[in-house]
Amino acid sequence: MSAPRTTDRAASTLVALSTELADAVERAGRSTVAIHARRRIPSSGVIWRPGVVVAASHTIRRDDDISLTLPGGETVEVTLAGRDPGTDLAVLRLPNGSPGAVAATLAPDDVLRVGSLVLAVGRPGDTVTASLGAISAVGGEWRTWQGGSVDRFVRLDLTIYDGFSGGPLVDAAGRVLGVNTSGLTRAAAITIPVSTVNRAADELLAKGHVRRGYAGVAVQPVEIPERLVRDHSLPAESALLVVAAEQGGPADRAGILIGDVLVALDGAPLREPMDLLAGLSGRAPVEVRLLRGGSPLSVSLTPGDRPSRGGRGR
Amino acid sequence: MTAALRAISAQRDVGLVADSLREITVAVHPAGARRAGEGAGVIWHPAGLLITNAHCVRHRRVAARTSDGRTFDAEVVAHEPRLDLALLVAPGLRGRAPELGDVEALRPGELLLALGHPLGVREALAMGVLYAVARDPRSGSARWICADVRLAPGNSGGPLADAAGRVVGINTMVAGGLGLAIPTPVVQRFVSRARPAQAA
Repeated sequence: MSAPRTTDRAASTLVALSTELADAVERAGRSTVAIHARRRIPSSGVIWRPGVVVAASHTIRRDDDISLTLPGGETVEVTLAGRDPGTDLAVLRLPNGSPGAVAATLAPDDVLRVGSLVLAVGRPGDTVTASLGAISAVGGEWRTWQGGSVDRFVRLDLTIYDGFSGGPLVDAAGRVLGVNTSGLTRAAAITIPVSTVNRAADELLAKGHVRRGYAGVAVQPVEIPERLVRDHSLPAESALLVVAAEQGGPADRAGILIGDVLVALDGAPLREPMDLLAGLSGRAPVEVRLLRGGSPLSVSLTPGDRPSRGGRGR
Repeated sequence: MTAALRAISAQRDVGLVADSLREITVAVHPAGARRAGEGAGVIWHPAGLLITNAHCVRHRRVAARTSDGRTFDAEVVAHEPRLDLALLVAPGLRGRAPELGDVEALRPGELLLALGHPLGVREALAMGVLYAVARDPRSGSARWICADVRLAPGNSGGPLADAAGRVVGINTMVAGGLGLAIPTPVVQRFVSRARPAQAA
């Protein structure tokens, strides 16, 4: 077969698709910045709203002296509004009148579909860069190992190159579908969807941190003997053994002791540590069912705020 | 055009590009060796001039096998390890010169296709997009085409083309997961320097 002739080329669907993809990168690139907040190569960020940049928290290794390179090439100093390691998001404030800073066009979460052709866009330096792939899985709400709550699980079949974390996931129209990070999962790269980024950005801009429930205990999952499950009609065969309780912390004030086995929180079974975190997101007192020396007991626990571990906005 | 028709049409176009790349791609291996090619090469001139990577040719005499299965003796007439380019002459080989794309017009995100023999698999196609064009900080000229395309040993010396099948680079190495190709202007300069020597 002969090579495609010049006349074929104008009509080539592949050329049209290629142009569309490059247009999408160019469009998203106008809202993609390089962030200088670590020793290695810069990481990426998205101008999410006028004056507001979202980035991946794990790539921002310091809280001060952060600068970023705008799409136009200018470098500006920015301030860290706050970070949420739970969702690996950080929010930076641009100085007023930053030149060439265009906010991204955001797509609603319901356009996330398995098989969608997507591009990861980054700016790990002066120029915009891209990789191509597909959305490989879309799931429901999930909790990261850092304890953050993410509205949808979006797994990517594409390469997140060095410096891509914090950059946008982009559809073929150049709309932003979320913020990419390699910092939350070990296997494939994932995207934090727009709705979760919006929520985290709102909270970080307002308060400088994202509230996560805190009980002041360290727990580990344990199996409960069948007889105890039966005798006390427990909701599950596993529960959480308290191995440490912070003095004066919420659990300590509720009367929880080391060695207690936490069974349920407001009726929901506590099978693994994440279940405890998930049940503590509010501020109202919760009922904790536990076993102490094999006997059932109920206490009322008022969740507190996680104390900061030095530095600000952690 | 409906989405389904578009998908079928795009698929046909990928096949056309693969066909056109196959016509200009050879497998390069030491003369006399019967096993799969160590590297790939590109027919650069209809009169049997071939381009490959310097690291693909360790001997002066090699063999080049075309996609239709014919094998030609070839001689290395220019070898520049610094550029990782080698120019070969295969006297009996008559082919079609590649159409060259415009490297300066490449845009991040545009589709790129590579043909080669990764890990001995003959004439395998790989597709991806342009990550970036790396430039010389002083002259600003294109040094590397960095492609989000999965390459492996055996792709070296083979063509990297745009969506229209026009060659923009010679696949040379993998770094940080990216496929790195030597831009065609660098190859053209190398060939024009090397050819007077060949005539002498």
